[in-house]
Amino acid sequence: MANNDTPCAGTAQDRPSDCPVQPASADPAANELKTTRRDFLRAGGMLSLSSLMGTAALMTQSDDANAAVEWGEHFQKNYRLMTTEEKNEARLRLERRYSDEYGKKVAVDTTEAQPGMLMGYALNIRKCIGCRRCVHACVAENNQSRGPRPGEKIEWIQVLRMERGKFEQEKMNHGYPEGLGIQVGGNAYTPAGQVLEGQYHYNPKAVPEADATYMPIACMQCEKPPCVKVCPVRTTYREGDGPVVIDYNWCIGCKMCMNACPYWARRFNLTTPVLPKEEMNPVTHYLGNRPRMRGVVEKCHWCLQRTRHNRYPACVEVCPVGARKFGNLLDPESEVSKILERKNVFRLKAELNTFPKFFYFYD
Amino acid sequence: MRKLASLSVILALCGGAFYAVSAAEKAAEPAKEAAAAKTPLECFESRKGASELTQRDVKPDWPNVKCSPTTGAALWYGDPYDGTVPMGKMPGLDIAEGKAVVKPRTEKLALMPMCGVSCHNGVGPAFNPPKLPKDKKPAPVPTMEAMVPDLANFQHGRGRIWCMDCHHTTKRNMLVDHFGDPVSFDQPQLLCGKCHGDKLRDWRDGIHGKRIGEFVSTGKKRWFTCTECHNPHNVQDGARNKGFIQVQPEPSPQLPRGMANADHEKLHPIPH
Ligand code: SF4
Ligand code: SF4
Repeated sequence: MANNDTPCAGTAQDRPSDCPVQPASADPAANELKTTRRDFLRAGGMLSLSSLMGTAALMTQSDDANAAVEWGEHFQKNYRLMTTEEKNEARLRLERRYSDEYGKKVAVDTTEAQPGMLMGYALNIRKCIGCRRCVHACVAENNQSRGPRPGEKIEWIQVLRMERGKFEQEKMNHGYPEGLGIQVGGNAYTPAGQVLEGQYHYNPKAVPEADATYMPIACMQCEKPPCVKVCPVRTTYREGDGPVVIDYNWCIGCKMCMNACPYWARRFNLTTPVLPKEEMNPVTHYLGNRPRMRGVVEKCHWCLQRTRHNRYPACVEVCPVGARKFGNLLDPESEVSKILERKNVFRLKAELNTFPKFFYFYD
Repeated sequence: MRKLASLSVILALCGGAFYAVSAAEKAAEPAKEAAAAKTPLECFESRKGASELTQRDVKPDWPNVKCSPTTGAALWYGDPYDGTVPMGKMPGLDIAEGKAVVKPRTEKLALMPMCGVSCHNGVGPAFNPPKLPKDKKPAPVPTMEAMVPDLANFQHGRGRIWCMDCHHTTKRNMLVDHFGDPVSFDQPQLLCGKCHGDKLRDWRDGIHGKRIGEFVSTGKKRWFTCTECHNPHNVQDGARNKGFIQVQPEPSPQLPRGMANADHEKLHPIPH
C-alpha cells in the first residue's frame, strides 16, 4: 500500500481525484509511511518512533516538492500557543509549500484581530431569491474542494427552499389523524413558513418561485459556540473580533464539532481536496481560506483573509439582491448596527443559547 | 537511482489500476475542454442587461471578476471598483471624497446621447414650447417601442405615472427631480427617492441594496444604484413573488454518495 501512494502524490496537484489511493497531505510522513497524526494519537506510545521514521523519510525525499510538508509543519504548536516568531515560521513554511503546489505566489496572512472590531452579519430573508450565487462565490474565494466525485465537492453555504404554504377550503374535511372516522385535528399542518424543512437540491429554471421562500444557512459564528466546547484538541476557537476559526494543522478530524453544531455548518474533507491550480485563490489567511488537507474539518470564517483587511466577505459582494449585510457591531454607523436598530431581527435556534452573530431580518 | 527503482516497482504494482484510471481520464478530457471554452469572459452583475464586466487579469493570477460558467453571472470580485466613477453628492449622505463610487449607467445606455438630438431635440411645432398630452397618456410611437421594448409592457405605477414623471421634458438624456431639475442616469436614487422614501433611507444606510468594497463605515465602497437591480419600466414579473426579476439559479449541491436523486426532499413527512 505504501508504495502505491507515491506516484499519486507526484500527480496529486494536477488530478488528485484520479489517484487510486488518496495521499494524506496533512501528514509529512504520509506519502512514505501512510501514518497520520490521527494514527499517532491513537497509538500514543508509538509517537516517538513514528516521528523518527517520518523525519528519516523527509530527509531522503527532500527534493520532492509534493512531499514537502516540512517536518516543522508537522511538529508546530497549536496556533494560539505560537509566539509571533513561530507564527511567522509557520507562515513561511506554508507559503513555500502552497506556492510549489499551485505554481503561483501564494500569500498566507497572519493578521490578528483588531481592537474595536466585532464582526456581525445580517441576512434579509424577505429579499433572498435562492439564486445560490453566494454559495459559489464562497467556493471561488475559500479554496474548497471541488472534485466531481462524492465527498469531493464542499460548499459552506446551504440555501434551503421552503414552501410558503397554502390552505384550501377543499381540504377542510381532511383531518389528522386520518382513517379513524373521527377528525381529531385540522389540516393546517400543511408545511408553511420558515420551518427549516425543505429542499437543498431545488433546481428550477428560474428563481424566485412564487410558492417558495429561501433561507441561506452557514456558520453563525456563535458567541457561545458548542463546536468550540467539544473540540478535544482545542483547535477551533473564537477569535477576538468574533469569527470562530480552525487551525487546520492541529485538527485531528474527530468530527465532534460537526455533531455539536446545531446549524449544519461544518464540512469534513473526506478525500484529498480537489483544487485546480488555476482556480486556487492565492490570497489566504492562516485561519481562513488556505488550502486544507484530507481529514480536517472546515467551515465559514467570514472570509477572514478579506475582513481582517476591511473588505466585505465574498458572499456579500455577489448577492444580486443585496440580502447580505456585514459590518462592525461596535460601530453604530455600520450596516448591521443600523439593521439591529431599525429592523426586526431573529437569531436561528435562539433557544439553544448559542448567541449567533448572524442575524436574519426582514423588511 | 533509488527513486527510479522504486518508481518501476510502483508501476508494476499498480499497473492495472493505472490503466483503468487513465482511460477514465481520457474520456473526461474533452468534456473538460468544452467547459473551459464555454466559461464566459463577460458576465452580468446584478440582473441581466443592467451592467456587465469583462474578465481580465488586474494582477498576475488575479482577475477583476470571475464569471459563473452556468449562468454567466458575476460570482467573485477581485477588483470591486472596476470601471467606477465618483457617486456625486447625495442629500443626507456625508461621505469623504472618493469613498463612494458607482458604475456609470450613461455609457451603458448607448441610446441616451442620441435621444436629445435626434427626435426629442426641442425643435418642431410640437416641441416649441413643448406640448405634452394633457391626459398624460403617451401616443405609442413604433420606432420608440422598437428601441425600448419595455415600453410596450410598461407597468411602473400601474397606470398612475407616465414617462415625464421620471424623464426630463426637454433634456431626454436626463431624469428629472421634484423641482424639474435634470438628474443624471448615474444617480437614479435622486429620482426614485421621490416616491420610495423608505427604501431611499434604507439604501442610504446600507440596509437596502448593495455595496461592495470595504465594509467599515469609513471605507471605500461601490454603491449599486436603483436601476442596476430594478428595471424601472418592468417592475412586476409574473411568477416571482419579490421585487427582483427571476434569474437562473447556480447549480445545486452534490448528492451524497449512493443517492441517485433528491426526490425525498419533496416529500413532506406528514402527507397533506
Ligand atoms: S454555527 Fe456551528 S460551527 Fe459556527 S460557531 Fe456555531 S456551533 Fe460553531
Ligand atoms: S446570493 Fe443572495 S439572493 Fe442568492 S441565494 Fe445567496 S443570499 Fe439568496
